[in-house]
Amino acid sequence: MLTLPEIGLYFSFLLFLVGLAGVMFRKNILFMMVSVEILLNAANLAFVSASKITGTIDGQVVMFFVMAVAACEAAVGLALIIALYRTKASIEADDLKALRG
Amino acid sequence: MDLNFIAFVVMGLAATILSGVMITRRWPVSAAMVLIAVMTLLAGMFGLLEAHFAAAAQIIVYAGAIMVVFVFVMMLLNLPPEELRYGGVTWGEMVLISLGVLVAIVLGTQVGQGLLTQGLESMGYAPGQTPAHAKSLYFAADENVKNVAATMFVDYLWAFELVSFLILAAVIGSIVIAKKRSAENANAA
Repeated sequence: MLTLPEIGLYFSFLLFLVGLAGVMFRKNILFMMVSVEILLNAANLAFVSASKITGTIDGQVVMFFVMAVAACEAAVGLALIIALYRTKASIEADDLKALRG
Repeated sequence: MDLNFIAFVVMGLAATILSGVMITRRWPVSAAMVLIAVMTLLAGMFGLLEAHFAAAAQIIVYAGAIMVVFVFVMMLLNLPPEELRYGGVTWGEMVLISLGVLVAIVLGTQVGQGLLTQGLESMGYAPGQTPAHAKSLYFAADENVKNVAATMFVDYLWAFELVSFLILAAVIGSIVIAKKRSAENANAA
C-alpha cells in the first residue's frame, strides 16, 4: 500500500508527462509557456511529496523558490511574446524561422 | 482507506486529466481557466501533504498572480481567430503519446521505484515511516509556516536574497523587452 506522498510522486510524474507533451506538440508559443507552468508545478508536487517522505521542511522551501523563478519566467516570457507579436504579427513557432540553419 | 487518501487520489487524477484537457484547447483563455483549476487542485494536494504554506502560496502566487499575468497578456495580444490554427491532436501525435506513456510507465514503476527506495534508504528512510530526526521538525503540523520561515531565513538566506535580485532583474528585463522602441523607429525613419 502506497502512502500519500508516494502517490504524490507518481502524480507529479504524470503531470510532468502531460506538460512535456504540451511543450512538444503545441506550435503556439503561448501554449508552450502555459505547459512550462505545468512542468514547474509537477516539480513542485515532487518537492513537497519528497519533503513529506523524508520529513524535512527543505522541499517546501525549495518549492517556494521554484515558484518565484516561475513568476520571473512568466514575466520575461510574456514580455518576449508581446515583443515577438509586435515584430512578426504571429505567435506560431513555425513562423519564427529567421534563425533556421 | 481513509478520506484523505481518496481525496488525494481524486485530486491528482483530476489535475492530470484537466492538464491534458488544457494542452488541447484551441483558445488560450479557456486553457488559462483550466490551468487555474489545476493549480487549485494542486494546492489541495499540498494541503493534504500538510504543507500548508505551500498550499496558500500556490493559490496566491500561481492561481492569483501568475495566471492574472497570463490572462492579461492573452487579452492584450487580442489574437484574431485565424491566428489560432490548432486543429486538435493528430493520429501521429496520438501514437507517439501512447508509446511515450507506455515507456514512461515501465520506467517509472520498474526503475524509478527502485531508485527512489535506494535513495531514501541511503538517507535513513524505512518504507512507511519517517526518519526519527525529522519528525520533530515536520510534524508540528500547526506550525508549518513557522518551520518554513525558520528554514528559509536561516539555512536558505542567501538563496532567498538571490531570488529577490532575480525578480528585480526580471521586472526590469520584461519592461525593457516589451516597451515600444519609439526612439529607434524615429532614427530608422
